[in-house]
Parts: sequence; structure tokens; C-alpha cells
Amino acid sequence: MKRWNRRQRVLAGLILSVTFLAVVCIAGSLCTQQALTTDLSQKNIAPGAEHIFGTDWLGRDMLMRTLKGLSLSILIGILAAAVSAVIALVLGVASATLGKTVDSVITFVIDLVMGIPHMLLLILISVAMGKGLTGVIVGVALSHWPSLARLIRAEVIQLKESPYIQISERLGKSKWYIVKKHMLPHLLPQFIVGLILLFPHAILHESSITFLGFGLSTEQPAIGIVLSESMQYLAMGRWWLALFPGIFLVATVAVFYVMGQSVRKLIDPGSVHE
Amino acid sequence: MKKRLISILCCAALAVSMISTTVSAAENEDASENVSEQGTTEKDEVVVTMPPTSEPASGFDPAYGWGAGEHVHEPLIQSTLTVTTADLQIANDLATEYSVSDDGLTWTVKIRDDVKFTDGEPLTASDVAFTYNNCKEKSTVNDFTMLEEAVAVDDTTVEFHMTRPFSIWPYTMATVGIVPEHAYDENYGQNPIGSGRYIMKQWDKGQQVIFEANPDYYGEEPKIKRLTVLFMEEDAALIAAMAGQVDVAHTAASYSEEVLDGYNLVSVQSVDNRGFNLPACDPVEQDGITYGNAFTSDVNVRRAINIGIDREEMIQNVLNGYGTAAYSICDQMPWYNEESEVEYDQEEAKRLLDEAGWVEGDDGIREKDGVRAAFTLLFSTGDSVRQALAEDTANQLREIGIEVTTEGVGWDTAYDRAQSEPLMWGWGAHTPMELYNIYHTVEGSGIGQATYSPYANETVDQYMDEALAATDLEESYELWKKAQWDGTTGVTQEGDIPWIWLCNVDHLYFVRDGLNIGEQKIHPHGHGWSIVNNVDQWSWES
Repeated sequence: MKRWNRRQRVLAGLILSVTFLAVVCIAGSLCTQQALTTDLSQKNIAPGAEHIFGTDWLGRDMLMRTLKGLSLSILIGILAAAVSAVIALVLGVASATLGKTVDSVITFVIDLVMGIPHMLLLILISVAMGKGLTGVIVGVALSHWPSLARLIRAEVIQLKESPYIQISERLGKSKWYIVKKHMLPHLLPQFIVGLILLFPHAILHESSITFLGFGLSTEQPAIGIVLSESMQYLAMGRWWLALFPGIFLVATVAVFYVMGQSVRKLIDPGSVHE
Repeated sequence: MKKRLISILCCAALAVSMISTTVSAAENEDASENVSEQGTTEKDEVVVTMPPTSEPASGFDPAYGWGAGEHVHEPLIQSTLTVTTADLQIANDLATEYSVSDDGLTWTVKIRDDVKFTDGEPLTASDVAFTYNNCKEKSTVNDFTMLEEAVAVDDTTVEFHMTRPFSIWPYTMATVGIVPEHAYDENYGQNPIGSGRYIMKQWDKGQQVIFEANPDYYGEEPKIKRLTVLFMEEDAALIAAMAGQVDVAHTAASYSEEVLDGYNLVSVQSVDNRGFNLPACDPVEQDGITYGNAFTSDVNVRRAINIGIDREEMIQNVLNGYGTAAYSICDQMPWYNEESEVEYDQEEAKRLLDEAGWVEGDDGIREKDGVRAAFTLLFSTGDSVRQALAEDTANQLREIGIEVTTEGVGWDTAYDRAQSEPLMWGWGAHTPMELYNIYHTVEGSGIGQATYSPYANETVDQYMDEALAATDLEESYELWKKAQWDGTTGVTQEGDIPWIWLCNVDHLYFVRDGLNIGEQKIHPHGHGWSIVNNVDQWSWES
């Protein structure tokens, strides 16, 4: 077998990651009903042929709950991370191009938001929005943009000093033209990688906030709920309630990370010189 | 190569040393356990666990709910005028006799003259009067609106002047611990002084309370000299019992299959019931809250639900058999009307629905005039038993063509939402006032119907008003029973059935072998202090 070069290996990893996430998402959205169905005559069954992840104290199938929970998490993660990234892009670019006053205001806001612990801000926003799906999405979206915004701002400031933009300015091109034609194409790789690397954060924070009881409601098959419920039964040796959902959550987060790194290697090869 | 060998050797050495330290630590633990076991050979002390919610937030002050309120129990530190007996009749404690005037507006209570507080001061009628007036003034947990004023006539006689007749006053007197007027201030809850069986020695907030027997107690000498109460969740209590650190650990049905060496599972019958409300009027909106529900306002629907639920199956599945079927809020109490009981009959339930015009649609869910036979059943987030009961209810009602979706809610929104949507509740207390609270209309609140779920029936109201006005307890029991069902109307299956009662949850405890926890009264709602009501009579087998 011919040995794959690095680019091919990275591509393979990327494809595997995307497939894993797609399978989880599709399977999760197909099994909504099964994940909610309770059957009290089938409760607390250890993993076996019929229920490969076992069942919980209400007789719900843990495989279905894990898949549904993860797909819910991924959905929330994608939505929230996308919104967050757009906020970061707009603020980052605005901060770097619209003059000193705007810059200092935005930098102040970034410092302010970064100064408050993530979880605290998340809980505050989520509870204020009435918890539930909206609360979590808005919470994650509004708390994750500052680091990316700061990155983009720095990048834009650096770009502004570069000769081709300076020339463009001298030629009398409008600000909007410069942003559109010169800056965005250059920022895009950074932005996409930043966006993908926001997913794992968003997913972990969604699970944590739900785990703590400030997120999704208990009857929903969210991964945070599954994990927090399983805590009560660990003392009784029901390891499967926590193990499989936990592993899957870690796997999902890891896969997003691998994906982010792979994309970076592909579209911005210069950044990964060893 | 050599380097690698060395590093492997280092790792191995590290591993061996780690294993040996853990082993020796375990041995040490064994040793310390032996010591503690020897420590308990005196056999006159017990360690009991309770849920963190049992810890009184405002201290051990009757004015702020200690001993009373939602979780009625005996106050231990203080003594009460009366007590409830094992069959929930009334007996005297501090009181030697009591009587009520013919108009029901004055209660006269004679008290013992030989009782001293633990600080040596005698307990007199003025302490009693002070306690009740103080409770009336401050209590937010208890309802004292029926009390006008308490007056000490002489050292051993106290008179209660009422605003309205209240025949079940002796049950109130069984929950209010008498505090010393001379030693009462705003810090009383932290340093309580009483005349009861126990003295509070130490309170580490969030962790434990230690009680010691009162050496000067006027009644029978407590057999258990020292009671330690640890506050922890059920899973922590289970682990504590596994480690042999506690004598009585509260637990739940979901843990009942565990077998612990040296412990036996004790199940105490309770009137700690679970059930859900069915709003009994058509939806109306007022002040932003919806009252009533278009589906459950049909009495035939409510009747069908009541007999369409297999309570025995529910108890087996959800409570692992540790419970009894409930048909009212007060099963087994002296004021319980046995007419409340119904047979499970799925066919009859379907027939009732068919007859009332609720016809099955294509998806198996019934419909009538565009209203779908569906409702959301709410439960309080984090309560696994209520969640399981809600899920089981949903599964069972689907079989008769009713669609039930479950939703977990916090108590911040639950009360308002329950006005239009069924909510899984827990009730049960040693007083008929529970019936009043659930079924009696309240003027000027919401839409002028019953407090927790819209319902109004003049006849039912009238029986309860008469029961409270009765001068004799026995007579009042009959009226309370009639309020439930008088032969033509009431709150039972043949009546309006505005609440569905599912089961009474047995209170479960892991009790260390050799500890006898005496005869327990039927426990009320709340899995906490009730267990130690009779702790003075517990004993260790030698």
C-alpha cells in the first residue's frame, strides 16, 4: 500500500469526522420518539443485545437518548457558534476599521465579557431568557464571541498596514469596497477555523449548563440531563448510564477539534509549519 | 535503550508504591471503622440521615415553621399542648384538659404545672399565650388567621379567642412547640430552649444537628440519649450506609433493590400522596394567568381518567411495590371517606369518553368539537418519582385515547401554570385542613375558586365550613367525610373528581440491624423529621 501523504491523511481525518457528526445528527433526528418513550417494565437493564447502551430508571433506551442528546447538542452548538462567529466578525472588523472611538468601545466590551466567567454569564443569560432551548442558544451565542472578535480585530489591524490595502486606500476606494474585496478573503480561513473551534466549546457549555439545571428541561433527552441523572445511580453500580453518553460527548468534542485542526491545515498550510 | 529501561523501572517502582499506599490507607480505614463500631456499643445514640431540604432554614423556631407548615412533625426540642396518637386521634401532652365554648369561638386549655424549660424556668400559661401570639404575628408558613388572640388567664389556664369557629384546633395545638417568653429573641431559632424530650446541642449548618436527651423531661425518660441528624441527598445517604457510618439512612424506591450488609430495609406507610389536578372549568384569562382547561373541564373526562389509571401497576413499576393506592388526599385518616375508592376499569373509561362525545381520530387520540383529548402533565424538575409517575400516567392514558405530554417545570412557574394544566403534586398531612386547602373556594383570589386548581362546589364548601364550626371533633370528621361524598355530590368518582390521586409513597429507610425504631405513625408528606417523632422510644437490641 502506498503511504498517504500528510494532506491525504488530514483529508481522511476530516471526512471521518464529518461522517461521524453527520451520522450522529441524522440518527438523532430520526429517533426523537424512541428517545422519549418510557417503558417502566424495561427499567435499569444493563447493556445487552436488546439495548446495547442499557436502559435508565424510566426504561428509556440509552442509545437513543445518547444519540438524540448529542444531535441536540450539535444543533445547539452549530446555531450558537454560527451566531457567535458572525457577531465576532462584525465587531472585529468594525473595531479595526471604524476609528479610535468605536475601537475603544468594542475593545472595552470584549474585555468586559471576557472578564466575566463564561459559565456565570451563560447561566445569567439563559435564566433571564427563561431557560429552555432559546435560553441556551442565546446564552451560548452571546458569550462565546469575544476571543474570536479579538483575533479578527488584530488580524484586520495588521492587514490595514499592508501595502496593497494602503494603495487601495490611496486610490480612493471606499471602506466597504476594501473590506469586501481585500479583507474578507484574507480573513475567511481564520474565521472558518475559529468558527469550527467554537463548536466544541459551545457543546461543552451547553451540556454543562443543562447538567447544572439552568438549561434544557428535564424531560428532554439532552446530554447534560442524561449525565446529571446518571450521577444518582453511580453508587448503585449503574455505570452504563454515565459511561456511554460521556464517551460520546468527549468523542464529539474531540472530533470537532480534529476537524478544526484539519481545516486549518488544509486552507492555511502556512500556519502549521513544524 | 538503557535510558528506556531505567524509565520503565522507575514507573514500575512508582506504581508499586502507589498500590501499597492505597492498600495501607484501606487498612487504616478498616481500623478506624472498628473503633467507631466499638464507640457505638454504648447503644444509646443514633445517627440518622435526612434530605437537605429538611434542614430548617430559619432555625428551630415554631414561628418560622419548625415542626409545622408543610412537613408536620413533632418539634422534639419544644413540647406541644396536644399530640397525635398512632391512629391520629388527639391526646394530651402539656394540656391536661381542653374545652371549647358552644359558639366555637373560645378554647380553654388547662396545662400541667410541673413542667420546666431546660434553663430551669417553669413553663406557664403566659409562655403558651406568648408562643401563639408570636406565631400569629410572624408565621408565614402556618395559617393562624383563625386565632384572634391567646390570653393567659392564670398560671395554668390559657384561652384562645378565635375569629371563626375552628373545630380542628387540637391538631394545630399538636404542631406548635411552646417557647419560653423570657428567653425568646430573634436568635431563638439558632439557640432554641424548650421543655421537650431533647436539647439541641450543636448545629453545623448544611451538615448536621446533634440532640441530647433532656435529663429533666417531665414525661417518660428518652431511651436514646443522643441523636445526630445528617443532611444529605439520597445517593449520599446510601453511600454513608454502605460505609456503615449511619444507623438510619433515608432512601427512595429506586434504591430499594440494594442489599446492604448489616442493614434492613424498613418501609413506613404514609399519607405522603402523589396526584394531579384537573382544572375543572373552561379557560378564562385573568391578570395574565389562564384558569381552566377546555379538555379537563368535562366531568366525564375526569371520571374516565380516574378509573382509567391502574394504580397497582404504577406502584409496582414506579415505586417497586413500596406504596399504597391513593383515592383521596387523606387515605387512612379518621376523616377519610371510603366512598372515594374506585376500581380500575379501562373499558368503562373508554365507554365514558365515547358517551361524552370524545371520538377516536386516525392517530388513536380522541377529539370533540375540534378540541383534542390532550394535556401537558407538569412535574417538578429533579423529582424522579414524580417524573416517573407522570411518564407512567402518560403511557396509561394513551391506551384510552388521551395524549399526555410531560414537562419538567420549576416551582417558580408551576403554581401559575397548574391553574390551566395538570401538575403532579405531593400532599398529605395530619390535619383535615388539607381537604380545605385543596377543594374549598377562596374569595378574592384568582377567579374565586379553589386555590391550587380551579374548582368550585357550594355544597362541598358548605360541609367544610360546617365541619370547622362543629364543636365536637367526632362530629366534624363526619362532615369532612360528607364534603368528600354525601351521596349526591362531592369530589369523588361519582362527584366532580377535580383531582386524581395516584398513590401514597411509602417512606423507606435502611435501618441498622439491631435498632428498633418503634411503632411509626403514618408519615405525612415530607421524607424528613417524621421518622424521629418517636426517637425517644427507639432501642438497640443487646
